[in-house]
Amino acid sequence: MTRLSGKTAFVTGGAGGIGSAICSRFAKEGAQVVAADLTAEEAPSGNISSLRYDVTNEEDAKMAFETLLERWGKLDILVNAAGIEIEKTIEETSLEEWNRIFAVNVTGMFLTSKYALPLLRRSAGASVINFGSYDGFIADPGLTAYCATKGAVHALTRAMACDHGPEGIRVNAICPGYVDTPMLQSFFRDAGDIDSLKQSVRDVHPIRRYGTPDDVANLVNWLASDEARYATGQLWVIDGGLSAQVQQMKL
Amino acid sequence: MARLKGKTAVVTGGRQGIGRAIVEALHAEGAAVMTCGRGARPDELGPSVQWVTADVSAPSSVEALKCAAVEAFGSLDILVNNAGIQIEKTVVESSDADWDAVMGVNAKGVFLVCRAFVPVMQQSASIINIGSISGMTADPAMALYNASKAFVHGLTRSIAVDHGPDIRCNAICPGWIMTDMADAAFAQAQDPAAARRDALKRHPAGRFGTPDDVARLALWLASDDAGFASGQCYTLDGGLTAASPLNPGLF
Repeated sequence: MTRLSGKTAFVTGGAGGIGSAICSRFAKEGAQVVAADLTAEEAPSGNISSLRYDVTNEEDAKMAFETLLERWGKLDILVNAAGIEIEKTIEETSLEEWNRIFAVNVTGMFLTSKYALPLLRRSAGASVINFGSYDGFIADPGLTAYCATKGAVHALTRAMACDHGPEGIRVNAICPGYVDTPMLQSFFRDAGDIDSLKQSVRDVHPIRRYGTPDDVANLVNWLASDEARYATGQLWVIDGGLSAQVQQMKL
Repeated sequence: MARLKGKTAVVTGGRQGIGRAIVEALHAEGAAVMTCGRGARPDELGPSVQWVTADVSAPSSVEALKCAAVEAFGSLDILVNNAGIQIEKTVVESSDADWDAVMGVNAKGVFLVCRAFVPVMQQSASIINIGSISGMTADPAMALYNASKAFVHGLTRSIAVDHGPDIRCNAICPGWIMTDMADAAFAQAQDPAAARRDALKRHPAGRFGTPDDVARLALWLASDDAGFASGQCYTLDGGLTAASPLNPGLF
């Protein structure tokens, strides 16, 4: 399978749980990939190069895409996967924390997209994939600022699709539900031991399991590919059916 | 208060529960109200409320209801499509007779009543359909009911689009309203008291809804205060569907 051969991809949060699964999948599909993250780790494959990259730093974005313009001359796929969460209500959240999460989850997406655009225009079929969340639609308790950033991502996604569709750039958001990553385990920390919670978590999902980074990478891969050439401006929920249901009362 | 003085209203399914609460609320605000149901006039219905024995799933019955309303009122300002039934089955368990019963009342009934009454409705008239949160997210083993309510939401938008500006049309999507229907659900639980506590914790409002809660929104939608509200499905559920169904605190 080399559905992405000849394509170039830039993935922020590329060392994270979901981001690294996306980079591996892209490489397997034949794309050249830059995995951009705060720490540049050893690249696992010849098609993946690591880049030390802070999404909140405008200079990092300028430099990265200047370099890529020289190296590749174009960018076909941009995945904005960098994100953090803060598990607090608004009263518990300091202004500094609020600004920090918006800087990473929203401003970072803005800056990376802004400087990637000139390269994306040079692609024969560019695809931008932003990370929203099902939390942008319905709330998890004690996750206020995170929910708010994801709602902003959803609006940003539609707005970018509107502005850059005529230039041949598609923009979509993926809205994952519960995916087994370090971020999820952190969310469950206060509710008890993750192992004891696993069955309960599975049971709330219509498909009786929670997601894996590969489940998400499968959808990213499709949206990045030319098969998705008519898909733009949409929010793609992938959550094992979790948000299709009304609250599950214990009847 | 007589916010609806001089207005005329027909409410389907006014025998009990939400329908009855809406009948009483409209009447209390000065509207002339006619309601209907499949059986005989309930004894305790206020003497100035008119009762017609009618089955909304039968075209001849709906025609007779319209004739009675035109004879009594001349024309109509407010129409509330509240009559509805539920059958607790999955798709595979549902028989043809179940389909006819649920879709006959909940879907065809709303269509028949709207088709009959739209031509006799006044300028600045208001149609209020009772949809459900189950029309947007699914309740388990309520397949036909869920689908019938999604139909109501779709028809609501169509009527608003086709018959504005004279007629406004909106739907109310109630969550858990304490009626005999909801009581029966708790009674079936293994531990009814625990089930009730669990269900309450899933409501940010800290309580279930009452028929009067729904009646108050119906009253607003019927009034000229809602003059710019049309084509919408308004959720009224104490915050239930704003929260994720996966709440680690309730495991």
